[in-house]
Amino acid sequence: MDTLSYLIHGFGIALAPTNLFLATIGAVVGTMVGVLPGLGPINAVAMLVPVVFALGLPPEGSLILMAAIYIGSEYGGRISAILLNVPGEASAVMTALEGYPLARQGKAGIALSLSAWTSFVGSAIATTGIVLAAPVLASWALAFGPVEYVALMVFAFACLTGLLTDQPVKALLAIMLGLGISTIGIDANSGVYRYTFGSPNLVDGVQFATVVIGLFAISELLIMLETMHAGASVRIQQLGRSLFNLSEMRFTNAATLRGSLIGFFVGILPGAGGTVASALAYTTEKRVVDKTDPEGSRFGKGDMRGLASVEAANNSASNSNFIPMLTLGIPSSGTTAIMLGVLTLYNLTPGPALFRSQPDLVWGLIASLFIGNFILLAINIPLVGVFARMLSVPAWVLVPFIVVVSAIGVYSGKSTTFDLVLMVGLGIGAYFLRRANVPMAPLILGLVLGKILEQSLRRALSLSAGDVAILWSSPISITLWAMASAVLLIPLLMPRFRRWREETMTETD
Amino acid sequence: MHTDRILGVAAIAVAAIMLAFGYGLEAPFAYEPTGPRAFPLIAAGMIALCGVILVWKPGEADPSVPPMPGRAIVALSGLLLAYALLFQPLGFVIATTVFMIPIAMIFGAKWWQGVLVGAVLSVSSFLLFDRVLDVVLPTGPLGGII
Repeated sequence: MDTLSYLIHGFGIALAPTNLFLATIGAVVGTMVGVLPGLGPINAVAMLVPVVFALGLPPEGSLILMAAIYIGSEYGGRISAILLNVPGEASAVMTALEGYPLARQGKAGIALSLSAWTSFVGSAIATTGIVLAAPVLASWALAFGPVEYVALMVFAFACLTGLLTDQPVKALLAIMLGLGISTIGIDANSGVYRYTFGSPNLVDGVQFATVVIGLFAISELLIMLETMHAGASVRIQQLGRSLFNLSEMRFTNAATLRGSLIGFFVGILPGAGGTVASALAYTTEKRVVDKTDPEGSRFGKGDMRGLASVEAANNSASNSNFIPMLTLGIPSSGTTAIMLGVLTLYNLTPGPALFRSQPDLVWGLIASLFIGNFILLAINIPLVGVFARMLSVPAWVLVPFIVVVSAIGVYSGKSTTFDLVLMVGLGIGAYFLRRANVPMAPLILGLVLGKILEQSLRRALSLSAGDVAILWSSPISITLWAMASAVLLIPLLMPRFRRWREETMTETD
Repeated sequence: MHTDRILGVAAIAVAAIMLAFGYGLEAPFAYEPTGPRAFPLIAAGMIALCGVILVWKPGEADPSVPPMPGRAIVALSGLLLAYALLFQPLGFVIATTVFMIPIAMIFGAKWWQGVLVGAVLSVSSFLLFDRVLDVVLPTGPLGGII
């Protein structure tokens, strides 16, 4: 019953006027950004990092704002997928498969409202799951020492390389580059300057905001230049009847429920976010419908069950992503990694202890996820036409806007030309990495986890006076090492799994 | 296929730089057995390993990658770099107005649309961030006027 009183306390924080206002703003801005083709949650949250500091928000306020933007842009991503067949981000690819054919049949309004509803159900189920599972997991994780943390992070990296992409080497490369960047600056243990190349600008490391904005916002501009011709002439489909009816809801209920559960469990795994969840939900739903429905499926031609399960799974996974982030301090997606990075900027150490030391922050965030989803449902059904109009914002307005917000954001940190140049340099570098199919999310995870991993490793080896055998000395760590090897080896041993992954996972960040 | 080889070579080069500048890192007094250089060198080793695998067995070229519009990419990168370098000396308002015009035009704006975007963005975001949100932005030569 402890949980219940904490949750009520959390609602008290989330319903405070400032935080309620932040959640509403975040939901609106997030949906708007999600609608824009090419801009997904990760870009939105990345550009927001410095703004949050400029606003001088307390940690819970900034997390509430970022979380609302994050789930809001997942809602928004489906709008461009359904209306234009242009998924704003990888996790909306599956939405377009069923949503766009529905729009072509004049059912765009139904597809949009139905998917808003199933997104809401998915999120609500996942948030309830967070309330039930997170405190238990956190109290269990309090027993983790440095040894277990090292094994846990290796498991997270194994999940990233094994589950996320069809090119594990490139994901591993991205993680290691992130770890490399995390070592720049003064070493906390010995006071030695590492990779500062004599520059005073690098003594306390590379600014987090500079890296995320360079990697996501600036490189995105170059990608937009590449794909500019694709979205040049947009013709938005007529919306038609705007609300789904009860029989359509009954028709999709089972699919929504299955999608939500799949999304919830996939979202908990490190590295597997909405993209994996929606792909898995779609293929599962197709198989179930093929087996049970005598009329067969109309998948690919606009089946509402496909749309319902995908959107439920996608949003469920983005919410359950918060479980490993809050309880273990291990983010499971690029976006939650950025939020975790922001926590460390507030000098808060992410991990199970947060539940004890920062109940306001943790429970305020969880409660605001519930509230944010209600706000999103409330604004998404009546205002979908307004959001759809965002699609006609021309690139020549959007791009200068992104450049200016990015530059101001990076400059606001230390006010140096160095950081601005570094931002552009990282952006250009990231553009070439993305062209070579190197995913960016693992790089951010490597960067965020690098310092914690190194500190845990060094603390563990101090305990054993340098004997590496300590790393597999406890039952928990042995289990985690075994799970990590399983995640890496299963794809190699199961060609069928590999084929499935290659079919479903063409895009990864 | 070529992309993967180039990526692999680049990764090996990065690892070599990390090794060259990381090998000499030693603490004057050692309080713990690991020291400051082990972790960077492990990362460098893994990066080199990835590089070697990519050079050795490059994946098939991905046909979905669009051809690179070379000149536009160079132009945009150059403009962004120049904007970053001149952001402080020229001041926010001038630098933003001057550089957003060509950037907007790369993305299909007519020249007057570019001027409009540059002027509106620079003045409105200066007022919003510098005056309302207390993010201090450089004023440059306009320092005495605004």
